Amino acid sequence: MIVDPLIKTIPSEGDTAGINELYNDILNNPFARNIVFSSDMTSASITATINNTESESVVLAKVDSVVAANTGNARIMKGGLPYIRLHIMKDVKRDAIVLVPLALIVMLLVLKLTLGEWRSVFMPFSVVLLSTGICMGLIPLIGWKLSIITLLVPILLIAVGNNYGIYLVTKFHDICRKGKYIPKREIINEIIRSLKKPLIYSGLTTIAGILGLLTHSIIPARQMGVLAAAGVLAALIMSILLIPGFIYIRSKRTEGLKAPFLGNDVFKKILNPLAELIIRYPGHIIIYSVIFTIVLSSGMSLLKIETNQENYFPKNNPVRQASDIINRKFGGSQTISVMIAGDIKDPVIMRRIDELTRETEHTDGVGQVFSISQAVREMSKAVFLPEEESYDQIPSTRESIAQLFELYNMSGNYDDFSQMLNLENTRAHVLIKLSDPSNVVIKNVNNKIQTITKDIPAEVTTGGYAMIMADFARSIIKGQIFSLGFALITVFILLSLIFKSFRGGLTGSIPLAVSILILFGFMGFTGIALDAATALLSSIMIGVGVDFTIQYIWSFSNNIRNGLTYEESTRTSLRTIGRSIIINALTVMTGFSVLVLSGFSSIRFFGYLVLISIGSCLAGAIILIPAIIMKFRPGFVKADMNTLKKQ
Amino acid sequence: MMLFLPYFHISAQLPDADEIMDRGRELTLMGSLNANVNLLITEKNGATRNRTIAMTTKSYPGGLEKRLIRFLEPADVRGTSMLVIDNKDKPDEMWIYLPALKKTRRIVSSEKGKSFMSSEFSNADMSTPALSDFSNKHTANSGSADYWIIESIPVNDNVADEYGFSKKVSHIKKENYLVTKMEYYNFDDELFKTIEVRSYYPLSNGKYTIEDMAAINHSNGRKSEIQFTNLKENVEIDDSFFTIANLER
Repeated sequence: MIVDPLIKTIPSEGDTAGINELYNDILNNPFARNIVFSSDMTSASITATINNTESESVVLAKVDSVVAANTGNARIMKGGLPYIRLHIMKDVKRDAIVLVPLALIVMLLVLKLTLGEWRSVFMPFSVVLLSTGICMGLIPLIGWKLSIITLLVPILLIAVGNNYGIYLVTKFHDICRKGKYIPKREIINEIIRSLKKPLIYSGLTTIAGILGLLTHSIIPARQMGVLAAAGVLAALIMSILLIPGFIYIRSKRTEGLKAPFLGNDVFKKILNPLAELIIRYPGHIIIYSVIFTIVLSSGMSLLKIETNQENYFPKNNPVRQASDIINRKFGGSQTISVMIAGDIKDPVIMRRIDELTRETEHTDGVGQVFSISQAVREMSKAVFLPEEESYDQIPSTRESIAQLFELYNMSGNYDDFSQMLNLENTRAHVLIKLSDPSNVVIKNVNNKIQTITKDIPAEVTTGGYAMIMADFARSIIKGQIFSLGFALITVFILLSLIFKSFRGGLTGSIPLAVSILILFGFMGFTGIALDAATALLSSIMIGVGVDFTIQYIWSFSNNIRNGLTYEESTRTSLRTIGRSIIINALTVMTGFSVLVLSGFSSIRFFGYLVLISIGSCLAGAIILIPAIIMKFRPGFVKADMNTLKKQ
Repeated sequence: MMLFLPYFHISAQLPDADEIMDRGRELTLMGSLNANVNLLITEKNGATRNRTIAMTTKSYPGGLEKRLIRFLEPADVRGTSMLVIDNKDKPDEMWIYLPALKKTRRIVSSEKGKSFMSSEFSNADMSTPALSDFSNKHTANSGSADYWIIESIPVNDNVADEYGFSKKVSHIKKENYLVTKMEYYNFDDELFKTIEVRSYYPLSNGKYTIEDMAAINHSNGRKSEIQFTNLKENVEIDDSFFTIANLER
């Protein structure tokens, strides 16, 4: 048996024979190949573990300075979870500093294009600014930390917070455009009278829906729920109080309002034909919507869950590149650890460890496995000849295993085992490195571990960062389903109360439910996985989708009760509130589109997904709901929702 | 001129460093020895490993030393035996017999200054080093208290390699020339190991042998303690005792 340093001397540059010999030594050494040297001999790795004596950031700073002082001619990359965590923190801060102001600027421009004059733009904009300020101020005030999830709160407010203001301002514009002089006080009375209730109902329903996040098992998700609800409440209160105030103190008379770039003409060109289509073919629209939803939602079966934080980064990010190389050439940077506590020298336990090692080694997505049983096999190879039965086997007696350990003790450094076996031989550690740390692989490996260690006479604990992440994934799904279910039920109950009708609640919930189905189906088909960030999309959809629906139904109901026919109500509602809804959807979509510039892939995808989900909420509110009302003519739209009595 | 006098005064009193080392060495050098050895290794985190062995050593002229070790405790390694031929100018030879597997294997290692049974003691610590391997000199404060403090530096790189250190500082009691403490420095000139001799066992011929000592590894915080019991000195041991045939007995 030979236990020796692999590299005794480093051959000089011209010593081809020496270099070749060293190459062969490395490639033939199972403890070096793909562990410290890649098998293509282009990369070498240094692995370090961080203990608890110093904070992670201090250790990383020290490592960085050592690396910076010793770069030489080689390209040096740093990866692994501590670096991933460090970069996530850095990028979250960068995103918060860059993306939030950018989203505000984009929103400002869209408002300018759709509302026209700057005064009107600043009304909803100031509400967004103030409510976002309140929300972000709450984070340190409560003592929470900015995380990748809470980062979404200001963005959510930019999306939802300006809704109420836009309705108020467009209503104001509608009144002004009637052309006759109306005293300011009356204008404000008219705005408040027609919009107060739908705004409050829509706001409260949104808050209730968002508070569904409180049932989530992931703490930042709950924090986001609280912050977003507080922000929406602030936006609602400020819209109702502040915007009429702004309108009142406008010095200029109101008649000569200039038409915006995307003025009524543009909207008319879209909305009038749409109204005619809905009036003529409501049945077709419903059937096509159902087919479209069913087809897209079938993609849900393909939905994946992503908890691998490496994928938060785009492929050209240095941390991602380092992780990719570690995964491809060195067995993987993320690990699952199996701790076995018992009499490790007991051959029954050792054989089970051996089985676990060999089974997991051949599992897809597993890069390398390290365990004490491999060392025992190696030692048996040193003691027995290949033709002997015991060669490359786990010995059958406790004494044999103990004596093999002693053999190694005498010849090698006992520290060689310290990662796999404790000094007293009462704890063994099987380290499984994952070359593909995806959720499926982790689940598979965990199943194997459970099966193999089921009746082992020892205490088995499975851990490691990859396992924590897998648990996190389960929490995301569970939290997602639970908070979505909670939100849908809440929205349904609230809408039923608001419309004083079960059918009204059901009808109002349709766009939201359809949008959720379409979104998850789309994610399944495109391979965008559910993760911590995308899991929160539903809250935004609730905020936006419910609002659109309430506004439309409310407006339609008002028109019907004012004596218009179903056809006329559809045309008028689409022209007035439909336009506001579209402006709203446009601001949200463009505001969110800045997320495409984020440093995180996951947030980027989130940006795309918002476009899909808001788009489907919009279609639900201004196409599907009008068609359903046209087709089925439900009684609740004729009821006076402003009083508690049924007509 | 007067200012330098005290210095000359002390310096003149210091005996030759080589001589001190030689006297200490002569005092502990012996032909052969039979003893039970208890080795306790304590990790930084408090975890321990305990081994009891029966050890027989025989020194030959020219620096050759042979050692046969049989494990007594723990029970699962009882009977495991080891034969070590500690050569002066070539790598050590080691054989180990594993009774449960009924196999004897030769262990090859080119690593010098190798650890004794995976402890903080090196094989060199278990034998008496040759005086000619080191150049010795007094340190600045040698002789100021009750101790001579002598620095030993390997005479060349090969010797340094073999012993695994660049410098050793020995604290030797003036009154009896016995070493009480040794500090070992690595090739970056950092202290990496300290051995304290806690007690000596007086032999009949006026010589001494170490009875109890501890080694502390400063780089990993591990401590190894070794105690000799049932010491039998100058036993007549036939050369055939140190053979593979006897190992498997």
